[in-house]
Amino acid sequence: MGESSRDEGRRGVIMKKPSFEKNLFLLGIGAFFVFSVGAILTTVIPPLVDNTFYKSPYPVHTYTTQELQGMQIYQANGCVYCHTQQIRHLKADQVRFGWRLVEAPASQSWEYVNDRLHFLGTKRTGPDLARVGGKYTSSWHWAHFKDPRNMGEKYQTQYGRFQEASLMPNFYFLSDEKIKDLTAYLQTLGRNMNWRKGQNGEYLNDYEN
Amino acid sequence: MKPNTASKLLIICSMLYLIIGISLGFVTAMKLIWPTIGEIEILTFGRIRSVHTNLVMFGWLLQSGMGLAFFILPKLLHTKLYSEKLGVATCCLFNITTIGSATMIFAGQMKNIEYGEIPIPFDYLTVICWVMFAINIFATVINRNVKYLYVSVWYFIGAVIWTAFVYITGNIITQLPFIAGINQANLTWFYVHNAVGLVFTPMGVAIAYYVIPKTLNTPLYSHKLSLVGFWVIAFVYVWTGAHHMIFGPISYWLQTVAILFSWSLIIPVVAVITNFLGTYIATPKEKRYLGPIAKFMYMGTIFYLLTCLQGPFQSIRTVNIITSKNDWVVGHAHMALLGAFSYFAVGGIYHVLPRIIGRKLYSEKLGDIQFWIMTIASVLFFGILWVSGVLQGYLWHNMNGTFLEILKMMKPYHAIRFVSGGLIIIGFIIFLYNIMETLWGKAQEMKDAEV
Repeated sequence: MGESSRDEGRRGVIMKKPSFEKNLFLLGIGAFFVFSVGAILTTVIPPLVDNTFYKSPYPVHTYTTQELQGMQIYQANGCVYCHTQQIRHLKADQVRFGWRLVEAPASQSWEYVNDRLHFLGTKRTGPDLARVGGKYTSSWHWAHFKDPRNMGEKYQTQYGRFQEASLMPNFYFLSDEKIKDLTAYLQTLGRNMNWRKGQNGEYLNDYEN
Repeated sequence: MKPNTASKLLIICSMLYLIIGISLGFVTAMKLIWPTIGEIEILTFGRIRSVHTNLVMFGWLLQSGMGLAFFILPKLLHTKLYSEKLGVATCCLFNITTIGSATMIFAGQMKNIEYGEIPIPFDYLTVICWVMFAINIFATVINRNVKYLYVSVWYFIGAVIWTAFVYITGNIITQLPFIAGINQANLTWFYVHNAVGLVFTPMGVAIAYYVIPKTLNTPLYSHKLSLVGFWVIAFVYVWTGAHHMIFGPISYWLQTVAILFSWSLIIPVVAVITNFLGTYIATPKEKRYLGPIAKFMYMGTIFYLLTCLQGPFQSIRTVNIITSKNDWVVGHAHMALLGAFSYFAVGGIYHVLPRIIGRKLYSEKLGDIQFWIMTIASVLFFGILWVSGVLQGYLWHNMNGTFLEILKMMKPYHAIRFVSGGLIIIGFIIFLYNIMETLWGKAQEMKDAEV
């Protein structure tokens, strides 16, 4: 079919063809080299140019065994498909995922250096979780995992809103132990920047409650 | 073994995963309306969603592409497939991998790489499958009885080489112990983007380059354009991974590079589209859209054009503010994989399968009905996702609404998405029925000349 194609037909002569069209080796090598230029420049070079990809200039939280187990549970249930973990460099993200009128600082690459598993995500069906650590108490998370649409007596004010709109799956099947691990992991998120201030202007570090 | 056994087997198996895969997609759409449906551990949203993408991408699209390649390549090269036995073995191993990985994901064993959830050992087995497939393809090309390689052959060769490196980067290199954080994220999006761009694009385009001129009985519009399309796509596609993290925690220059190369993608896409549509225009008007194959290939081309124009535009920073991280992205991904490449695969199967078994397609009419149901439903499906995406994008920027209020507003859009998704499934079930009747039902024998 290639032989009879249009532009050759018009001229009435067979155009001289490049040699890769009859040489498998040249075609294969060519396709690989042309591809590899971009492949190397976008995967190998960036961490060499910007060392915050793997090294942090500031202290970064090291995960405990329990938190690492929580991370595994986060992975196993595909939480990342509805929750991103990146506050983009946008006012809208910083305000929306902030805390009590304090804007959340935008996520920086060095904050992730200890994340063996990254969960940056591409889709927000639920809110961003990059700075969720400390925003809610662990007992709130407990009630929310057990049934996101009916969080019980203690969280009555949120009951109506969550029942109507929340699309989060019910994680009743996770054992109490697993929910504790998962919550411990969630409470670390955003911890690498101390950004929440108390009433007297002091930085809060109340992640354990 | 009879010629084309491997091809037939791969195509039939792929259709099975298509039906299972889209049904799982339907369940996820259902869960966005009634989140309490199917509240058991293995049917949790995150898991079904991963099985859906994996079955549809690898079980259906990749496997049907492999099957079509096993038929198209020997035809173009006037030779036989190098080894039918190796082909059948590839098919068996690939099916074990697909079923195994779906089971593992349901059980909660998955990696954190989007589209690369397949856990060990099944990702390694996929690589072995791919090596077996590659041996067969290369050996067939070496044994050829023609001098020049047609465009489809370049694209298949390209797909074999690029897929290997892209898949290994995404599934194996990302899991190395020293890869973490942003570095892993960068490799993930290198994989995610190129899985579509350098695996399914060359496969789909190769199929279209063969099927369109064949079914229209018109020579390809321009050989030179196909040359431009191939080499430019090989060069520019890999650079674009970082456009998934615009405004995100990754180097600003890398985002800019990704945006620039996203724009240069317009060149190869326009070259390919001009070639396809030019071939349509060169065909006499009354013969252009006869039968389901010509229709599927035409609409697939249009969806390919639209999805590839959408890509560059949504990578611009100002547009990305609105279109990123919401339903828009879902619409875009579905238009590429369902709109463009699944349409090419369906057209390809309608063309190839009757020729393998030497019987006419059971019903052209059913094929047309399938086409119209699917096309109307998918335009509605993509459209509603874009509308809800843009709406979400703007509402998220308006600080008056809480996240939950905005989510609640999406209810009607989720409902339309659910209904149109259901219609798409009906279309595919008609497809399955048509093919089953052709294979085992009362379809007519084909005359030798048509084979």
